[in-house]
Amino acid sequence: MTRQVLALDGSTGAGRDLLGGKAASIERMRAMGIPVPPAFVLTTAVCRRFDDPADGAGAVPADVWAQLSDAMAELERATGRTFGGGPSALLVSVRSGAAVSMPGMMDTVLNVGMTGAVRDALAVESGDAGFAEDTRRRFAEQFAKVVGQPAPAEEWDQLRLTVAAVFRSWRSARATAYRRDRGIAEDGGTAVTVQAMVFGNLDDRSGTGVLFTRDPLTGAAEPYGEWLPRGQGEDVVSGRADALPLAELAAAQPGVHAELLAAAARLERAGRDVQDIEFTVQGGTLWLLQARAAKRSPEAAVRHAVALHAEGLISQAEALDRVTADQVDALRGPRLDPRAAAAAEVLATGKPACPGIGIGVVATDAEQAEDLIDADADVVLARPSTDPDDVAAMSLARAVVTDLGGSTSHAAVVCREMAVPCVVGCGAGAAARLAGRTVTVDGGTGTVYLGALPVVPGALDDPDLRRLTDWARAEAGVEAGAEAGTGTATGADGPLSALLRARQAAARPGAQPAPIG
Amino acid sequence: MTIELRALQALRLKGRATAADIGSVTGASAGEVGPALAELAAAGHCAQAMDRYKLTRPGRDRLGELLAAERATLDQGALADAYRDFEAPNSAFKQLVTDWQLKDGATPNDHADAEYDAKIVHRLGELHEGFRPLVDRLVGLAPRLTPYPGRFGSALARVRAGEHTWLARPMIDSYHTVWFELHEDLIGLAGRSRAAEAAAGRAE
Repeated sequence: MTRQVLALDGSTGAGRDLLGGKAASIERMRAMGIPVPPAFVLTTAVCRRFDDPADGAGAVPADVWAQLSDAMAELERATGRTFGGGPSALLVSVRSGAAVSMPGMMDTVLNVGMTGAVRDALAVESGDAGFAEDTRRRFAEQFAKVVGQPAPAEEWDQLRLTVAAVFRSWRSARATAYRRDRGIAEDGGTAVTVQAMVFGNLDDRSGTGVLFTRDPLTGAAEPYGEWLPRGQGEDVVSGRADALPLAELAAAQPGVHAELLAAAARLERAGRDVQDIEFTVQGGTLWLLQARAAKRSPEAAVRHAVALHAEGLISQAEALDRVTADQVDALRGPRLDPRAAAAAEVLATGKPACPGIGIGVVATDAEQAEDLIDADADVVLARPSTDPDDVAAMSLARAVVTDLGGSTSHAAVVCREMAVPCVVGCGAGAAARLAGRTVTVDGGTGTVYLGALPVVPGALDDPDLRRLTDWARAEAGVEAGAEAGTGTATGADGPLSALLRARQAAARPGAQPAPIG
Repeated sequence: MTIELRALQALRLKGRATAADIGSVTGASAGEVGPALAELAAAGHCAQAMDRYKLTRPGRDRLGELLAAERATLDQGALADAYRDFEAPNSAFKQLVTDWQLKDGATPNDHADAEYDAKIVHRLGELHEGFRPLVDRLVGLAPRLTPYPGRFGSALARVRAGEHTWLARPMIDSYHTVWFELHEDLIGLAGRSRAAEAAAGRAE
């Protein structure tokens, strides 16, 4: 029997297929000597055994459990903490992670090992009984939701049930539907990563944050991040409003800040792409929890691709791989000021049906819309769904929003014909909720914002786009900088988005990082 | 089947319509349409702005009464069956129009690829042939729908002649516009509401 539980110490030598994406990322960072909380993984091979009745169908197989107990002992040794007791207790996170990323489709449970005694010990250690009780409450809620029963009192029972539930989440209806929609193989399985918890809310020298090695919105070649003193795990990722700029961490703990930036720069060089890093500081010690290629706005995709090439990290062909035709089109047209959009309140989201920005006051029927337009107002028409009476008003509206419907719906079809920005399927009641408010509709991302946001005009003569165009032409066999009109009328000297579509059609899919939104 | 009902329904479907628009939707002659509109305006059921007419609130109420009276004379069971049979071609047509606008469901069709467009026009022809018996059946059930076969036919002829805006463009009598107005008529004739139909995923 090969080992199916592997310590992530940087020396497993295993790839994503066996470790899953999350453990592979931890393994990569450990191999580079970057501080990551100690962890081990139950490989994807274990997941496949969950379908086998001979292995107890849906429970952790006995031989795997024995290996897991050994691995837990190793975590206790590495952290100097004890699972289920003692003055400093060890709590672990149990996370899913398949070879192909399936964000949000499978389950995770944090703070496993939380017993009554552990809560009391944590209260003493942190000097904060409220924090200890809050941690226990979070655990109890998450356990009940994921495992489908109340958390047992005993720490090993908690761990056994959690590991089994996270493996089983590979077969959940939503995960199966997600794979079917995207053509992801059914037999890959998820791995389960067990990692020592670190606490950003332990004391005043603790906190949690997110760091992008370059700005994912504007594309500026400087780190961008947020820091939440005494924050725990998901608080920053989920966008808590009271997060501080990273400069606050630099002021409070300059050593930690410098160590963070140095680790981030190494990860970017090794990954040859902009990184999105989650980190926690516990009592003045830095821990990196996750690093992955950053999602980015269309503008950032273009800026990053050109800058990374200029710095010698990627070739011209790779720079072109990092930019999609849709991103180029988005950059050429008018778009929202990225900072203002990030700060604005999102009133509704739906499916993008026709790109473009529209700003106006929301009318919820055609008659009201036409009256407002007759009075020279800019109007956004929001309807449960649209019918023939609405078409005239739709043609005059700055944007159209609907509660119901998909990309083949009447509103979508009509708006595309008339190039009116359109978001469909925002959910029942969305139109009524928007009534009378001034909103900004981004038909490219399917978002409706409160207020009139500043719009940046399209980049018609952008130096970075010009460079990318030259590279794409050179690759397609057309001389760089060739005068427009002197070439033949083929795609080879077309605009950048056409060149990119042609080379993407020829290449295998999946080479680009996912765009924001 | 009064000209009053046909004209009011045409005004509702077209929003702001010229007398000529009303003529082509109702199949009525200019000699019929002019006096009918004058009468509706005198009764306060429509209002004129420049050369266009629009329905007023009392006109909308009057239309509701006339439609209810019409429905009482029709075979509801047969209409419900026909409405059910409309569902499959309706889905196929909406997908066809989306494919016409977007390649791979995402990339706007710039209509540079004549072969791609020709395939869709061909699909439209096949769909039209398959759909025709149902339209004829509907006309038999509700005589007010008589102009639809001719409107579909002329939109298709223009698309086939290379005038591609007649496939999906709003505000003109494109194939999509005619289809969508027929759908709206069917919802009303079957005694259903668009809100309920949209929620059921049949009329988004």
